[in-house]
Amino acid sequence: MARSAKQWNRKPDLNAVEYVDSRIYTDEEIFERELERIWKKTWVLACHESEIPAAYDFRTMSIAREPIVICRGEDERVRAFLNVCPHRANLIVRAPAGSFAVGEPSGNPKRMTCMFHGWQFNMKGECTEITRMKQGYQERLGKDDVGLRELRCEVGYGGFVWVTLDDEAMSLQDFVGSSLDFLMTELESEPLEVFHYHKSIIDSNYKLWHDTNSEFYHDYMHYHNRVTSMMQPGYFDRKYTAFANGHASVGSMEVKYDAYHGFQSRDLSFPGMPRNGWKMVDMFPGYTYNLRGSSLRIDTMTPISANKVMIEFRGLGLKKDTPEERRQRIRDHNSIWGPFGRNLHEDLLGITGQGVAMQPHQEVRYVLHGRHEDNTIHDEIGMRHYYEEWSRRMGISPIDPAKKLATAAAE
Amino acid sequence: MAKNGAELALSVRDLIYRSVVLMDSQKVTEWLEGLCAPDFEYLITAYSHEIRREQEWFHGRRDELLDVVKMMPYHNTDHSPFTRHVSVYTVDVDESCLTADAVSSLVVYQNMFDGINSHLDSGDTRLFCSGKYYDRVSLEGDQPRLLQRNVRLDTRRLDKGSHFLL
Repeated sequence: MARSAKQWNRKPDLNAVEYVDSRIYTDEEIFERELERIWKKTWVLACHESEIPAAYDFRTMSIAREPIVICRGEDERVRAFLNVCPHRANLIVRAPAGSFAVGEPSGNPKRMTCMFHGWQFNMKGECTEITRMKQGYQERLGKDDVGLRELRCEVGYGGFVWVTLDDEAMSLQDFVGSSLDFLMTELESEPLEVFHYHKSIIDSNYKLWHDTNSEFYHDYMHYHNRVTSMMQPGYFDRKYTAFANGHASVGSMEVKYDAYHGFQSRDLSFPGMPRNGWKMVDMFPGYTYNLRGSSLRIDTMTPISANKVMIEFRGLGLKKDTPEERRQRIRDHNSIWGPFGRNLHEDLLGITGQGVAMQPHQEVRYVLHGRHEDNTIHDEIGMRHYYEEWSRRMGISPIDPAKKLATAAAE
Repeated sequence: MAKNGAELALSVRDLIYRSVVLMDSQKVTEWLEGLCAPDFEYLITAYSHEIRREQEWFHGRRDELLDVVKMMPYHNTDHSPFTRHVSVYTVDVDESCLTADAVSSLVVYQNMFDGINSHLDSGDTRLFCSGKYYDRVSLEGDQPRLLQRNVRLDTRRLDKGSHFLL
């Protein structure tokens, strides 16, 4: 039956992390705490190495508002730096991607040039040019004093470029742990290549997108998934596995794509992946590896505020794909995951609606994460596991965000 | 252009504008069956500066597009309709007068119905995207028909995206 205000505002009679207080999605102070305690302390999936295939290629992005430039050196090594000039803190590289092989109006080829005063840096972050250095600084300051701030950067787990702002963070290997083990054949047997990129900025909290990726109960929203998966054998046998550091995966099934009118079975796959198979790994704090037979989709998020997030969507195939194979992967990917695909628009409608219903200064809502189905596909263990890690890092309780937790990790 | 090219070019312009009128009225089936060739090919493309690659975000032939229309009622969607503003820039009729290529500017506005919050958004009109139509038209038979349409987008950030064709 419908409820009174008092009944609506009463905390659910569920256990801890079986529900969360909506302020974790709306409070700007909590958001700033997340940037400090999570996004600045963790490994971030920044891009794919195939986006910077040649020496001097670069890609820019940001983490917790810090502008980042990622580039490939003459030694083929990929490095990441704060995209900030040490002189007067200008943004050095303004384009989303390109090559430093070509000179710029204020600088030489094979250099990053800050256009403001012409200071230049090589692909190792070393300052190679301070314009009129001796005249201005005499012997007081030299190029060795003003290198770029280098960030820890590794390439792995399918050729993805990972960056962290924290020099003291655990190793990438420790961070990922065993969460991607069941995908490693598909990810590492052959070099991968990105063929799709688009992005969305949505008025909603980043965690709501990750929550959606972390549960399959929302397949009721997707006609495509209902007919190709939920109504097929094996769907309710898929199980979630929780891993250290907040990651979770869900096991595979054989998807029946041709059950959707006009679609066909996906004969193309990835090495080691059964035809029409589907594997998914949701990684804390906000990346998803989503492999549906013929195409790998990677979601990454850049939180902008408590109620705004940029989601980047990449689609990948194998570098060795023939033109026909690549065309097929692109079609399969975009039929459901492109900006005009069947599913992605529905998913984005879902979190957009949540963004309207959970905003700063609205009444507190209690968001239920309480489905228990022996860790099978409609169990909400993925979200509960995520918020256990969130709580540990944040030092606050997701069911009572005003309450600070006295844990060693939190302090 | 051939001797009667000017007349043929006018008929191509008329075809493109009629297709826009049907699309704006959400009469997509009428558009596909009435104005498009049986082997009509439709694409939505863009160039991604981020990954420095051509993008093909949608591809389908006439029968596949008819399936898309048929399946739309099964999907959750933002029901805000599009208004397309199209200006036909150039029409080039080939010497044989069997085909013509046309380039048109395209601006798509979305007239908010659901929007983000319909209480606030409904009734507003917002820019959804801009780009160009690159059309190839068959001039054979009783009327010109679209052979191929490449909706080439300049806009690359589409936020919620859409189920509607452009």
